[in-house]
Amino acid sequence: MTRKKVKLAFIENNTARKSAYNKRKKSLVKKVDELTALCGIDACAIIYGPYDAQPEIWPSPSGVQEVLSKFMTVPEVEQSRKMMNQESFLKQRISKSEKQLQKQRRDNREKETTMHMFRCLNAGNIVQNSMSVGDLNDLSWMIDHNLRAIGRRMESDDRENIIHQSPPPPPPPTAPNNNEIAMMGHGHAGMAMNNNDLIQSQMFMDMGMNGYE
Amino acid sequence: MSKKSSLGRQKIPIEKILKKSHLQVTFSKRRSGLFKKVSELCTLCGVEIAIVVFSPADKAFSFGHPEVESILDRYLTRNPPPESSAHQLVEAHRNANVRDLNVQLTQLLNHLEIEKKQGEEIEQARKVRQSQFWWESPIDELALNELVQLKGSIEELKKNMGKFANKCIIEQSNASSSNMGGVNGFGRYDSFDNKFGLGINIVPTHPNAYYLGFRNGYL
Repeated sequence: MTRKKVKLAFIENNTARKSAYNKRKKSLVKKVDELTALCGIDACAIIYGPYDAQPEIWPSPSGVQEVLSKFMTVPEVEQSRKMMNQESFLKQRISKSEKQLQKQRRDNREKETTMHMFRCLNAGNIVQNSMSVGDLNDLSWMIDHNLRAIGRRMESDDRENIIHQSPPPPPPPTAPNNNEIAMMGHGHAGMAMNNNDLIQSQMFMDMGMNGYE
Repeated sequence: MSKKSSLGRQKIPIEKILKKSHLQVTFSKRRSGLFKKVSELCTLCGVEIAIVVFSPADKAFSFGHPEVESILDRYLTRNPPPESSAHQLVEAHRNANVRDLNVQLTQLLNHLEIEKKQGEEIEQARKVRQSQFWWESPIDELALNELVQLKGSIEELKKNMGKFANKCIIEQSNASSSNMGGVNGFGRYDSFDNKFGLGINIVPTHPNAYYLGFRNGYL
C-alpha cells in the first residue's frame, strides 16, 4: 500500500484515472464488506463507472434489493437526516477540520505562551523578542492562570494534610547572579529536594528584583 | 514516559464485534472513513455512486453522487439518466462547487498538518526544558515546597510585568506625540493609538479581558 499524498482533484490522465478507479473501487467494496461483518449491519453499494454501462454493486442483486427496500420503508425525514452528497459531505469535513485547526492553534499558542513565561521567569526579566499587545495580554493571563492553579493545588493539599512541609528557609542575601546558566545547573527534575537545592532554587526568586533595567 | 492517547492501528479479525461499545465506535469511525473514500473516488475518477448503510441502531446513512435518490432511481428503474441541457447546466454548476470545496478542504488540511508539526516541535522543546528545569513541570507533578517557590517566582515575574507594561505605556505616549508608527520592541503592532492604552490590562480589573486577549492572540 503506497502512502503518496493524492491531490483531491479529478485525475486528468486517463490511464492513471482508470488504474485509480479499479484500485479504489476494489478497496471500497472491501471496506463495505468489513463494515457489515464487523458491526452486523446492512449496507449496499451501487457504482456507475465510466467504463461500463452496468453498475457494479455490492453485495449482490438480491442483497442490494433487500437493503434498498429497507431504505424505502424509512420515512423520508429520517432518510434525509443522514443523507449526504459531495457538497454536504465536503462542507462537513471542512467544518470539522476548521475546528481541529482552531483547537490545534490554540493549544500551540498556550504552550508557546507558557514557554515564554518560563523564559521570562528564568531570565528574571521580561524577554521581549518583538511582543505585541496580544502577546503581553496572553503572558499576563498565563501568569495569573498559573498562580490560580498553584493556589488550587495548595488548597487541596492543605485539606488533605498529608504532606508536612517544613517552611522554606529564609531568603539568602541577594545574590547578584544574573547568570542563567549557573542557575540551571542546580535545577532538579524530581521531588528529591534537599536543603541545598532549596537555597539554590531560592536564588532565582530574588533575581527578579535585579533583572529589571 | 510518553502516554499513547490511542492504540493506533491494530489488526482485527473480520467477525462481528462482541462488545457493544467497541461495535458502536467501530461503526462510527468506519462509516465515516467509508464515506470519505467514496467522496474521494467521486472526485478523483468522476464516478456516480450511492451507498446506503444502516447503523447498529438501524439509522439510515447514505451518500450519493450526484444524489442518492437519482442513483437509486436510475438503478431501480434501469433507466439511463436524462441528459437535458438544463440538467447538464445544473451538473456543471454543482461540479464547480465541489471543485471549490475540495480546494478549500485541501488548503485547510495543509494548514492543519503544519500546525500539528509545530505542535510536535513545541512539545519536544517543552520536554527538553522540563528535563532541565524542574519548575517547568506540570503543576500537578510538583511537591508542595516546590509549589511555594514557584509561586514566589511567578509573583515576582508578575510585578516585573507591571513595571514593564507601565514603561511601554510611557514610551508609547512619548512616541505618539510625534505621531510615529511602530515603537521599538513592538514589531508587530504598528497602529498605536488609544488601543494600546486600553489593551494592556496588567492590573487585573477585568479578568475576562485576559481571556479575550488570549483567544485573540492567534486567530
